[in-house]
Amino acid sequence: MSVQDLTNAIIDGITAGGEQFLEGTLAAILPAVWLALLGLHLGRPYILEMIDRFTLRLGADLLWLVYIAVRDLLIVSGVVMSFMFFFPDVVVTDALPLTGGLAAVCLFAVLLVKLMGDPDHNLRDFRLVTYLLGLGAVFYFVPYLFGVQFSSIAPASFAGVSNFLVTNTNPNWAIGIGYASTALLAILGAVAAAYVLRTGGRAEAQDTAAQDTAGTI
Amino acid sequence: MKPDDIATAITQALVQGGSQWLVATIVAFLPAMWTMTLILHLGRPYVIRTLRRCGLRLGADIWWMSYLLMRDAVLLITFAMSFIFFQPSIVANSALPITGPLAALCLLIALAVKLSRRADDDVQAYRIVTAFLVVGATLYYGPLVFAVEAASQTYLAGFGQAFTSNSNVGPALVIMWISLVGVGIVAIWLFIRALVSANRTMAQRIKPPQKQAPVLGD
Repeated sequence: MSVQDLTNAIIDGITAGGEQFLEGTLAAILPAVWLALLGLHLGRPYILEMIDRFTLRLGADLLWLVYIAVRDLLIVSGVVMSFMFFFPDVVVTDALPLTGGLAAVCLFAVLLVKLMGDPDHNLRDFRLVTYLLGLGAVFYFVPYLFGVQFSSIAPASFAGVSNFLVTNTNPNWAIGIGYASTALLAILGAVAAAYVLRTGGRAEAQDTAAQDTAGTI
Repeated sequence: MKPDDIATAITQALVQGGSQWLVATIVAFLPAMWTMTLILHLGRPYVIRTLRRCGLRLGADIWWMSYLLMRDAVLLITFAMSFIFFQPSIVANSALPITGPLAALCLLIALAVKLSRRADDDVQAYRIVTAFLVVGATLYYGPLVFAVEAASQTYLAGFGQAFTSNSNVGPALVIMWISLVGVGIVAIWLFIRALVSANRTMAQRIKPPQKQAPVLGD
């Protein structure tokens, strides 16, 4: 082996290892992001109770703003980090949850509802967001727990199901679901762009509670 | 192989591999940056709706300022990171979306519109920025998802070869040079505009105040 061969081998190791490390880190952080955003969404009544106890309007406003900023940024981060589910090569190579792409679509749909509706003041929109988050969590956590994490220790009777739920052991379904998710995401993205172009970036939804305090339903 | 040879190989690998790793990291983060850019820009109606519900001016100001800073900083950083699309050696040797330079040009035009018009008050300007961002994102995501990141898909081989920069070097470089000319034109226009604007505003400030005419009887 020459010096150049060894150099090339190390370079390949650095780049391939670095890529896998990055994808592995994203895959490892995503469950935490999902849990945090679900916790924040479902913890809304607790925040509203706290807001009611504030004697100073400034504190109440800041708590509410920080709450919605963290909650919505986590949803945006979830969509951004889920982008690897739309890349066929990544899906075929890495062990990822089979329906992770559909979970990302659910998250993006939540953002679309927040854009076009008013889930913090409209009960119908709030329910829709909750259902979408629930569906997305099922799409993410079921294949993650029973596939990605369980496949290596699954007994023979469950091994088939477990392998089915992991992308690199079920590449045909993974690619199909990946393309379906990409198409859905493109449609939702087009709807968002059309809405923003039509409204010119203004808040068009009816201000149903102009007199409300933050977060009342 | 002697210890010196191994040391040389590791040193070379760290230097060359480090630069490749840097490029690969930028390429890996660009989709995330593009998605953030789009989501933050398109999310403006939601941000305004939240803003209107703030009871105090301070909260509303902090909210709006944070949004603006994040949105525009992400836009600028995405353009800065897109500069790898204008380096001929990287375009020729790395697997990049062939229309990446055009996407970067669209980003710069969106930035230029923001600088030259008040896109947050002028609906038409906001729509122009949106259109450029959507076109840029489409030019970026299309080849990325179906060409660069789909090399393992045999039925996409033709598309993949045509839209990946290092497998279609000639057209990739032509697109890159055309986009670079566009970037140059926009940059020169921004430069001249900044100079003219600075000259005008500063000249007004430097101009000595006119002496008041003496009042009769003083």
